[in-house]
Amino acid sequence: MQTKGRSIVAAIAGAVGFAAAAMHIESSVAETRGPVTDPVGVVEIDKGEPLQIGVYQVLSGPDTANGVDQKRAIEIAFAERDNILVGHPVLLHIEDSQCTPEGGQTAATKLAAISDLVIVLGPSCSSEATAGAPILWNAGIPSIGTSTSAPRLTAPERGLEFAGFLRTSYNDNDVGSSAADWAYNVLGVRRATTIHDGSVYTEQLANVFAEQFTALGGTITSREAVSPTDSDMRPVLTRIAADAPELIFYPVFVNAAGHITRQAKEIDGLEETQLLGSDAVFTREMIVAAGRAVVGFSFVANALEPDALGEGYPAFVERYKQTYGEAPIQGSHHQAYDAASIAIAAIEKAAVTNDEGDTYIGRQALLDALYATRDHKGLTGILSCTEHGDCGHFNFAVYEFTNSDPESFSPGVNPKKVYP
Amino acid sequence: MTEVLQATKSALLRLSPVGATLWIIRIGIIALLLWGVVGSIIANRYSAAQWGDFVVFGLAIGSIYALVALGYTMVYGVLRLINFCHGDIFMFGAFSAYFAAAPLARAGTLEEDPVLGLAAIFAVAMGISAGLALLVERVAYRPFRHVQSLAPLICAIGASFVIQQSARGLFGSTVKAYPEISWLQGDFSVLSWAVPKLQAIVFLAAVTVMLLLYLVVMRSKLGRAMRALAEDRDAAALMGIDIDRVIVFTFLLGGLTAGVAGVLYALIFTQVHFFMGFVPGIKAFCAAVLGGIGNIPGAMLGGLFLGTVESLGPALVLEGLNIPAPYQLRDAIAFVLLVLVLIFRPSGFLGERIQRRA
Repeated sequence: MQTKGRSIVAAIAGAVGFAAAAMHIESSVAETRGPVTDPVGVVEIDKGEPLQIGVYQVLSGPDTANGVDQKRAIEIAFAERDNILVGHPVLLHIEDSQCTPEGGQTAATKLAAISDLVIVLGPSCSSEATAGAPILWNAGIPSIGTSTSAPRLTAPERGLEFAGFLRTSYNDNDVGSSAADWAYNVLGVRRATTIHDGSVYTEQLANVFAEQFTALGGTITSREAVSPTDSDMRPVLTRIAADAPELIFYPVFVNAAGHITRQAKEIDGLEETQLLGSDAVFTREMIVAAGRAVVGFSFVANALEPDALGEGYPAFVERYKQTYGEAPIQGSHHQAYDAASIAIAAIEKAAVTNDEGDTYIGRQALLDALYATRDHKGLTGILSCTEHGDCGHFNFAVYEFTNSDPESFSPGVNPKKVYP
Repeated sequence: MTEVLQATKSALLRLSPVGATLWIIRIGIIALLLWGVVGSIIANRYSAAQWGDFVVFGLAIGSIYALVALGYTMVYGVLRLINFCHGDIFMFGAFSAYFAAAPLARAGTLEEDPVLGLAAIFAVAMGISAGLALLVERVAYRPFRHVQSLAPLICAIGASFVIQQSARGLFGSTVKAYPEISWLQGDFSVLSWAVPKLQAIVFLAAVTVMLLLYLVVMRSKLGRAMRALAEDRDAAALMGIDIDRVIVFTFLLGGLTAGVAGVLYALIFTQVHFFMGFVPGIKAFCAAVLGGIGNIPGAMLGGLFLGTVESLGPALVLEGLNIPAPYQLRDAIAFVLLVLVLIFRPSGFLGERIQRRA
């Protein structure tokens, strides 16, 4: 009887303890290491030890070019400083997040387990950030999304778990609205269909487009969805063809976009329908995926012309070519570079180095320094971060592929800017 | 009439609570399906040609599922093992053949002599897939054939990962695209209905391969030995059948059909990447179970049925139920069908009814 009683008490105690941990009770005890006291925690880097920075990007699958391009831009940002920051060599921990929530969760968990990881740059995809950013901030690690543009990630109601997340990419509220305006006012389209793949980025962007298009007076004939891994788009395109839309907006990734672009022209009723994507397909892989059907395919993106970007952009492109033997392979590299750039500035601001050469960085202090970014000169222009983490801005442009030879990929040439 | 009523009454009285629940579910599902179909027909959204297109697309992808399902079903028949890496064998064959297809396209062979070019592509895919299937059998399955545990299953899953990541290492992470062959583009005109040429050829090619396989299994000596082994392994061994040889032959046949399926898939959808085998592999497994795992005609029927339902189902049923974006649930159709078959007819369409235990 006594044993049974003790067991019951132990079980209740365990349950209470678990519940307390699960409820994520904020600790009111600040951490002090060296001369720095911080409410979230302190990173201590001994003299000569590396300053550790995490990177998670999509490095496999049809969207590999997106992640590889951004990883390279980040590497260039640190290489420009000889990989030294606040007197310590920089060590990048790079993880493949696969542009899926599961990949983001796994990559973020691995990075969060690295003690004294200062900051994380990435990810590429909004679905990765939705899963990964809370995991990182739960470990006190801020992260800067480099092409994560889903509106909800920086919405005022996003939740405390995203307090440690900022981004140098633009907000899809701007992209979807601009695309709808262009379709309605410039192309003169009055009937449109949207297709998303259920991911955070594509669904939210498609919804913004549909809402703005409807507000302008247009008709959304249907809102369709496919799976990211779907190959046979003919049935859903046949369904769409029954409503005779003038335009199909499908802000999906390379795999699905390639199949839709190829197969749309084979469907009766869609031969003349305009096809419009988003910058998720601003990559050489889209030419491979779509083949001959890519010629004439348009997508909305952030303008990459020098007059739309910061003055350092041409020099960055030259450095990229010298380092990697080819021009940038996708359209978000400048955002990744800027993420590294503002991270460097914030670390320099928040770091305290003692006489022995040991460095201490308060985690909350670092986050505050990031949010305090104002008028920072970046490749995308002048960056200032809002209270909800938006640091990038959007220069609307429409690009069109002109050649189906993958070797001819060159931003500004193939695809070329057709608007404005 | 009275006798019928009496029989029905006594059958109902004998029904257990579980049996009654299953009957309610059956009736509910049929009612839901009918409601969806009636709703879609009343909406009158599609023309007859478009309905026909749904069927054609479904049969084309279904025939590919059927070819892959044959590999699952044959291996299960002789080894009572689900060969979970079969989808990746299908991927590996398609991917390898890309490296034959691309140079042939550049040399102009696929335009000047498409039959010869396609024959070469198929030969490469079938050879690589068959070789890989034999390697997997020798390395991952044979050592565990007599182990009565989960080891063979775990090996199968492990082999799947090894093949996927090997493809990634060898071929890269990015997408590759099969060349388009102009000979395969365009439509056939059938009674004033434009049937896509590529889908029709893929379907006919797949059916031809299935029939050839069926003839081999039913008429050849090794095929007879395969069926004997599937019936009773010990008795087959006592009859002097070389078990190892028959199993190797089974894997060979499965690999060959997977290679054909890989090329047909790549011809329709063009994109190949190291992860492309996962979803078709899972669906082909569902098709094999639908048709009756271990039953070759069942695998063919299951594949064609699954492909057609996937293509037609969202438009014919889900749309009538006013479910938005119905094509996002395509994959769910395969798995829901799998669950329903396992509940109501675990032996599949053409499998033998499982006798109730006394």
